[in-house]
Amino acid sequence: MKKQLYVLIACLLLSASACNKEKRYIYVVEQQELYQNAAQKVNLKTTAQFISIAYSDLFGSAITNDELLKFDVALQSLGDKNTMQDMIIKSLINRSGVLQVNDATMRADVDAFIENEYLRFFNRMPNEYEQWKLKDMIEKNADITPKMVYYSLMTSTEYKYY
Amino acid sequence: MKRKTFIKNTALTAAASIVAPYILPTGRLFAATGSRKANHVVFCLFAGGVRNLESMEKAEGNLMRNLLNGNESVSSDIVSGMTPLPTPAANRLQSFGTLYKEFRYVSGPTGHYNGHTTAITGRYSDAAIKLKEPPQYPTVFEYYRKHNSPSKNALNAWWITDSLGPYPYLNYSKYDGYGAMYGANMLAPLNLVSPQTNTILSNPFQLSGAENQKCDMMRGFMNSQFSTTTQLPPNGIENTVADAEKLQTFLRALNVEAAAGGQVNAWGVNMNSDMYNIYYGIKVMQEFKPELMVINMQGIDIGHFDFTKYVNNIRMADYALYKLWEAIQSTPGMANDTVLVVAPEHGRNLAPNSVSDIYGRYALDHNNDEMSRRIFCMVAGPPSVVKQNQVFSNPFGESIDIVPTIADVLGFYDQIPPGMLQGRVLTEAFN
Repeated sequence: MKKQLYVLIACLLLSASACNKEKRYIYVVEQQELYQNAAQKVNLKTTAQFISIAYSDLFGSAITNDELLKFDVALQSLGDKNTMQDMIIKSLINRSGVLQVNDATMRADVDAFIENEYLRFFNRMPNEYEQWKLKDMIEKNADITPKMVYYSLMTSTEYKYY
Repeated sequence: MKRKTFIKNTALTAAASIVAPYILPTGRLFAATGSRKANHVVFCLFAGGVRNLESMEKAEGNLMRNLLNGNESVSSDIVSGMTPLPTPAANRLQSFGTLYKEFRYVSGPTGHYNGHTTAITGRYSDAAIKLKEPPQYPTVFEYYRKHNSPSKNALNAWWITDSLGPYPYLNYSKYDGYGAMYGANMLAPLNLVSPQTNTILSNPFQLSGAENQKCDMMRGFMNSQFSTTTQLPPNGIENTVADAEKLQTFLRALNVEAAAGGQVNAWGVNMNSDMYNIYYGIKVMQEFKPELMVINMQGIDIGHFDFTKYVNNIRMADYALYKLWEAIQSTPGMANDTVLVVAPEHGRNLAPNSVSDIYGRYALDHNNDEMSRRIFCMVAGPPSVVKQNQVFSNPFGESIDIVPTIADVLGFYDQIPPGMLQGRVLTEAFN
């Protein structure tokens, strides 16, 4: 499956029925197929792919060529890619303009938050276990912020592959 | 337990511990790693194509006054094109070891990438340059990390490259059973360390210890859910979490220094790219005291276009080499416990090309002629380890001998499977 830069417009339409907690989601995805599961990702992102995808995931817009080149050179210049990717993500994620929800929104509907962010960063839905486990972590740790979740997703192994 | 039985059991245990081979975590069974001659090796690829006429034969004067004995002046017609450099050291590097004046790069194209690959893998290579693809055979870093007992973490092995392109990919091979997990930390400081890098990596997301733990917890869970039946291509080499943090701190400090201009002409001379590469290699050395570091210089390759600048860059590289040696001797933990190996990757043609510089001198390419296969090799180190003041003036030794020699110095040569290396240990250089 080919990863392309994408703009994800997720419209969450919750069903009116509160008693059975059924939710209905409609995902509108432009030029992007969703992965069915993580196992479909078997290719390593190139240095340029990693940076441009990370930028568009965070800001919802394309990185400029000039900045892409600077980050790309930095990433090519270190043998430990994980370390440099970590440094790049830490820098990008702290800039203004990152598309992010606040803590209250995240905690108001953790399920929706997890699903949205898995779609945004992993380009797939979380499975039931991932959904339950991550929700459990967030709910049991009041100091986990949305930014910490973004950072964890973007520095995970899965994020390096497509 | 009776005294007699106790003594018998003790003796058997002692004997077994001496005779029994070791079983490594990798499952490999072999005898204990051989004894080391020294605990550190620095291999400087004095690269870019250096012709023996200009280096060992001093056709334009002694251009390597910090390495070679003698004070022959630079040829008068080009001397005005030389960058002023400090007075050379009283004791030249030659006096601290064994000099092979007629080393050979015997086989394979006399190209920079092939020459580098041969020097780092210990095998001649006819492979065409493939950008972003590791070499076919294991590198010296992989041999070092795989065959040492106990195994060494990645911060002990460094490849400091002066340029991008195919060179960063020389830190590990695609050879089955070796690869990224045994690779070296690679750093291209001339590309990475700059005020621009400092800007783009500035103001990082800061996490407290507790927050970091929470992120580790979430990431650990996410990683546990990511599994495929396909073998995934490696994302470069990996340091331990603790080592990666040290690396980040080190890189940030380098870039902060660069942003403040602290490295500009730090040696008090007009520094070129080779000098800066060595400058940053010294920083790595002082910070991590690696057991194995390979570093290159290629500014000499200006010889394709400008003979006089080629001559000047040999002088500059020689001075950088002196600074490297000086730093080794002043770094606690490495002083008197380091063997320095120096060699070009290949030479240059006997016949010039048609490009003339402002002094009317013609430039030099490197196209596999006999002259382009003539190089030198210097092995320097503590007097107790390396034979001092020894010179071999006749053809002796090859590029492929460097990896076995490094392996022997660091005590793992015998652990390398037979047939992997083509060369021999330069035993005559050692006591």
